[in-house]
Amino acid sequence: MPTASLTDVTFAYDGRPPALTDVTATFAPGECVMVTGRSGCGKTTVTRLLNGLAPEHFAGRLDGEARVGGLVAGQSSVQDYNGTVGSVFQNPKTQYFHANSTDELSFPCENAGLPSGEIHGRVRRAIMRFGIPHLLDRNVMELSGGQQQQLAVAAATVLDPGVLVLDEPTGNLDADAMVRLHDMLAELKRDGVTIVIAEHRLAWCADLVDRYVLVEDGRIAGSWDACEFAALPAERRREWGLRALDVTSAREATARLVERGLPGGEGTPVLATHDLVVGYGRRGLLRRRVGGFAKAVPDLQLFAGQMVGLMGRNGAGKSTLVRTLCGLQPACEGRIELDGRPASRRALTRGAALVMQDVHYQLFADSVRGELMAEVRDGDDGDEARAKCDGLLRDLDLLDLADRHPMSLSGGQQQRLAIATALMAGKRFVVLDEPTSGLDHAHMMQVGRLLRRLADRSVAVLVVTHDDELVAQWCDGVVAL
Amino acid sequence: MTQEMAAGRTRAKLSVSDMITVGVFSALYFCICGVAMLIVNLCFGLPGTILLPAVTALLAGPVFMLLAARVRRFGAITVMGVVLGFVLFLAGHFATSLVTAIVFPLLADCIAQVGRHRNRIALMASYAVFSFGCAGPIVPMWMMRGAYVASLQRKGKDTATIDAIMANVNGTSLVVVIVATIACALVGGWLGLRMNRRHFAKAGVA
Amino acid sequence: MLASRGPLYLDPRTKLAMVVSSNLLMFLHAPASIEAVAAVLFAVPLLAGPRRGTGVRMLGLYFGLVAVQFAVAPLVGALPWLHLLGATAAALCMMLPCMIAGLSAVLTTRPGDFVCAMRRMHVPTVVVVPIVVLMRFFPTIRHDWRQIRHAQRLRGGTRNPLDALDRTLVPLLMNAVTVAQDLTVAALTKGLGADGPVTSLAQLRLRLRDAVAMALCAVPVVLALFL
Repeated sequence: MPTASLTDVTFAYDGRPPALTDVTATFAPGECVMVTGRSGCGKTTVTRLLNGLAPEHFAGRLDGEARVGGLVAGQSSVQDYNGTVGSVFQNPKTQYFHANSTDELSFPCENAGLPSGEIHGRVRRAIMRFGIPHLLDRNVMELSGGQQQQLAVAAATVLDPGVLVLDEPTGNLDADAMVRLHDMLAELKRDGVTIVIAEHRLAWCADLVDRYVLVEDGRIAGSWDACEFAALPAERRREWGLRALDVTSAREATARLVERGLPGGEGTPVLATHDLVVGYGRRGLLRRRVGGFAKAVPDLQLFAGQMVGLMGRNGAGKSTLVRTLCGLQPACEGRIELDGRPASRRALTRGAALVMQDVHYQLFADSVRGELMAEVRDGDDGDEARAKCDGLLRDLDLLDLADRHPMSLSGGQQQRLAIATALMAGKRFVVLDEPTSGLDHAHMMQVGRLLRRLADRSVAVLVVTHDDELVAQWCDGVVAL
Repeated sequence: MTQEMAAGRTRAKLSVSDMITVGVFSALYFCICGVAMLIVNLCFGLPGTILLPAVTALLAGPVFMLLAARVRRFGAITVMGVVLGFVLFLAGHFATSLVTAIVFPLLADCIAQVGRHRNRIALMASYAVFSFGCAGPIVPMWMMRGAYVASLQRKGKDTATIDAIMANVNGTSLVVVIVATIACALVGGWLGLRMNRRHFAKAGVA
Repeated sequence: MLASRGPLYLDPRTKLAMVVSSNLLMFLHAPASIEAVAAVLFAVPLLAGPRRGTGVRMLGLYFGLVAVQFAVAPLVGALPWLHLLGATAAALCMMLPCMIAGLSAVLTTRPGDFVCAMRRMHVPTVVVVPIVVLMRFFPTIRHDWRQIRHAQRLRGGTRNPLDALDRTLVPLLMNAVTVAQDLTVAALTKGLGADGPVTSLAQLRLRLRDAVAMALCAVPVVLALFL
């Protein structure tokens, strides 16, 4: 088993200040190390130096040595690392190269030039090892995010590499999927694979990690073994931007919110549902409904000024409910009321806004200001609209970005921009889909604060999320599907 | 900025990153081709197929221009043509699809290369030539014309009038196809360059 | 065992030969009888496999169009506009065998086998990789399109068609760029682009059934040449 190490590494991406400065770290064979720190601290760069992507693909200047066994970053090509280092990335949807799962598992073996019989054997062993025969010969696009990530881990380890590097693997996963990922890593650890995880979510693999390394502003700020790290006070970890090591209190708080039910409110709710059944049917011949999906939803009342969380495991119908509430999809049964009046689908699309998880699907203007001004109806007063636009930009900290292209903004800035357009259009009901997936503690709190301010502008806010900490800290109520 | 983009403009071979980009953009182009096929067939019936290259050229400008901007190396446009030819051939279109989809994109690549993939006029000309790459499916129209005439003659219709009408259709339709395609390609290409300038260059991806 | 293949599974190269044969038939203006026989022949892989429904539908379409031609022929003198219907039916009939052959090739071949066949035919890597990426990315375009349409419906509309085009294509292309970048990173770490030969999981062999199939497909062509 090879030893992975960084010795006096200073690395700067082209045209940017150093991402890592004087970093020395050794990962002993069989060790499970978590490299953690707030967003942008440099932990992703550590993973890229370990799997050969930096400096070859992510060009930059490297001083010092990043070595895995006989492979040295900058001297060995990234393809040489295939078989020694396996990599898993954050987004399960864009990690797979082949459309079919069996082809994806054979992919690393084919690139390594192994004979067909051996490829068969390795793929079979990978399936048996992790107990995932149901993932064989499937269309990867149809798998859930958790299953796609399981496939990614299996594909990364099909050549039995000595080192597995994971870069924020749980960003987009729900609780069940995180457990399944954890179990796969436990299996690998039993086989003596060195595991390096770059994450700020700590709870899901706390029992597997042997050592924690904290990176701050590109430097190693500390290294603790598991016991020492757990003994540190929780506030210190929070200050470092890390998520809770132990999420049970957040989970309990969330459960209490679910039990309490939705908080009532005065006046008419912005959105109310009665006997709603959402879903989609498949109509066979003669228009009879055959199969499909239908979910009865408990009656909801969402008032302005409230922030309500929508939780449930994948497949429970959260996305379908959201689309129905926004008028993008017809309800199977029941009715929805907007401001006390029964609402048609058109009324719902006019009154609702959705901030998607992939915000760039919804940004299309060539400047931030242009994005907001696109919401102005023909005939509205130009000066008034411009003043409102600038006011919103100032409130949401986007004024100095007003002429930038929306796609050049960071994820958080794009999120704020999407919210700004909703406010510009005067929407009373805003739904956000997983706004904190993959965010560290500080940014999660920032989003929470932002949503609270949004709610305070008399908007009913619905947040679809797996994030117990967000819900526990910021939500007034929870709908559990 | 990846190594490929920064230092590799001088390298001759298409890198892994380039090949994947070509694949993704070919998928988009093929999608637009399919949409164009639907539009012309719905509006004009089967004879409308001769307008397929023109309608595709009108809509696919941004795809071509962004590809040219991201992969500034000889071969990308040609490979996109080859891939398209393969796909059209397997979709059941005549083998001429394979030929047109290789010859025209290759020419287009050469033209773009002359302008180092940067000169706007060269890119527009390149796109106009490239748009004939999907003209393959319409070649059977002329062949079918011949077969239909032959079958009519077998049934004993008046050959003189038929020949006269069909000959007219043949000559004009060829000119119509060429002129329409070039005109639409100029419009589509201009739209593509405009989108590059307004959006992709500003966002840093072109 | 990793991927079940029926006893009638043909090598992708055989199916490619089938597509070539269908093209030749069209080129040679094969008479309707040979065309019909060929159409049925090309549909056999579809009918023999899980895509039976598609095979049945395509043959149904073909013979339906033949029926239309027969129905139209005697009435053409009285109603000259029927020429158009007849011509359209005839044109589609000419193209259908090609399409059926193409569908047979694409729908009944596993993507891994298809890639293997390409490599065996010495198709250069610079063409194979984009084709694989196209196969993987194409189905996701529909999903992206739907997300973008949903987002548009929740935003203010626009009457300017140029703007409408912008609004749809810009997110679509941006997304394509991001996906291409992520795919590259993932593929590089899995060894794509390494020097040395690339192998495959599939073991393709031209068997007796392939020889028989190819011979059968050659029959209509030979007949068309000499009749």
